[in-house]
Amino acid sequence: MNPQALMDGLVAGSMIGLGAVGITLTYSILRFANFAHGELISSGAYFALLVASALGALFGGMSTPIGPFSFGWAVPVAAVVAFALNGALALLIDWLLFGRLRRQSATIIIMVMASFGAALTLRSLLEFIFTSSPAYYSRSLQIANSLGGGIRATPDQLLSLLVAAILVVAIHILLTRTAIGRSMRAVSENPQLAGVVGIEVRQVIRVVWLLGAGLAAVAGVTAGVLVQIRPQMGFDLLLPLFAAAILGGIGSVPGAMLAGLIVGLSEAIAVQLVGAEWRAAIAFVILVAVLLFRPQGLFGRAE
Amino acid sequence: MAGGGDIMLSTGALVAGYERDLPIVRGVDFSVRRGELVVVLGPNGAGKSTFVKAIAGLVPIHSGAVMLDGSDVTAVPTHQKVRHGLAFVPQTENIFATLSIHDNLLVAAQILPKDRRARRVADLYAMFPDLAVKPARRAGALSGGQRQMLAVARALIVEPSVLILDEPSAGLSPKIVFEVFERLKAINATGVTIILVEQNVKAALAIADRAVILVEGQLRHEGKAAGLMDDPLIAELYLGARPHKDAHR
Repeated sequence: MNPQALMDGLVAGSMIGLGAVGITLTYSILRFANFAHGELISSGAYFALLVASALGALFGGMSTPIGPFSFGWAVPVAAVVAFALNGALALLIDWLLFGRLRRQSATIIIMVMASFGAALTLRSLLEFIFTSSPAYYSRSLQIANSLGGGIRATPDQLLSLLVAAILVVAIHILLTRTAIGRSMRAVSENPQLAGVVGIEVRQVIRVVWLLGAGLAAVAGVTAGVLVQIRPQMGFDLLLPLFAAAILGGIGSVPGAMLAGLIVGLSEAIAVQLVGAEWRAAIAFVILVAVLLFRPQGLFGRAE
Repeated sequence: MAGGGDIMLSTGALVAGYERDLPIVRGVDFSVRRGELVVVLGPNGAGKSTFVKAIAGLVPIHSGAVMLDGSDVTAVPTHQKVRHGLAFVPQTENIFATLSIHDNLLVAAQILPKDRRARRVADLYAMFPDLAVKPARRAGALSGGQRQMLAVARALIVEPSVLILDEPSAGLSPKIVFEVFERLKAINATGVTIILVEQNVKAALAIADRAVILVEGQLRHEGKAAGLMDDPLIAELYLGARPHKDAHR
């Protein structure tokens, strides 16, 4: 096996992990599988593209690549703005759709079907606005540097790993050391009791949407920097995202990240061993295996 | 501790239930005086838990009013009621099992000003020393009695004026029930008004000032707790006690 598969798997896995963290947060607190999360990855990437393009047009110097990277300051600034814009989009979707269904005490299956509807609408909207042609933050080419042991990586790839690691640690600290994090964990376990102790559950739900969609935006920007931006990009990641969220254990942020890396590595190794056409099947195999043998995931607790 | 004459909490013609067409609580007029410990009794399915859940905001109120210390809190959302001084300990799932003991207390202390939180948590550890032994321990790993103590500590952390407990003795051994009730008595002695829903009639009446009896969602009797068990008709009809021999003669 080519050792390069390890780096390819880690890079893909970090993107999957970031998306899976968003899924695990929304799943544990909103209590339904949000199939529109993939589209939030795409919308985040496009928000960043719009902002980066505008910044590039207004301040030409912001498009000049920073050091060894392929992109200029416009992209990291755009990623921060996209984090907020994508959060606002998620809040809008919640206000228009999921919030209304919650107030009607909709069943989980109705929420899931509504999320399918939201996904289709969002994807069609992105295709209508941006067309299905791929877009790029930068067209600069990067040469992968040798890291030893037959492994090569571009500076962009190494940065994406670093960003994913920083974000996961930050979210973990937020959940375990802060008041809002404790509130999120409390609502995740028992929303009724959370209300009794004085937590405003709706406020926590808003924070979860903001955070989940913000992380989806970062995953989208990372995917856009490393590969390309397409309206379909989030949908293509959906199965690996859910496989990682469930393998990690619903509600576990470190679990989702670790599982994302496992799914990414498994896919990359499968490409080497059995061929690229089996890549998509790997996430499905992992998903089914986890549901059959350890439904609580790696870090979840058995009911 | 029997308090003065002023009303701390009251309900007026309270109608509540999960569905509007099927009210479980049907027009209950109830009041508890400041510093009083009142026990709500009644047979299974009488609507006792629904009654206190409606007061806490967990069950829809269809008509009537809930007054807390002179303020109408009928439409106040659940999460705001604790800010009005109303703390509620549900019968089951009354702690966050996946959180540590310490986080259970901290999450409840969040509504307090930042500079008071740490001191209140320390106060509660002093009041419930068992909880202070391993504060990082997962709350779900505690025994039934310890869980109940944590639930009470969690409720007390905001220094409530009214504490409502829904069957705190459920599933506990007689020895632990005695300890829990002794603790409630001590809490009441500090001035906290307590409303206690109980099936363990004897133990509850032993610490209560007054008792009310709900039957089929309606208040059928209220009076002093002392001697209630000796009332043969009340005991036979509502409390499940064996009728007094003399009552049949």
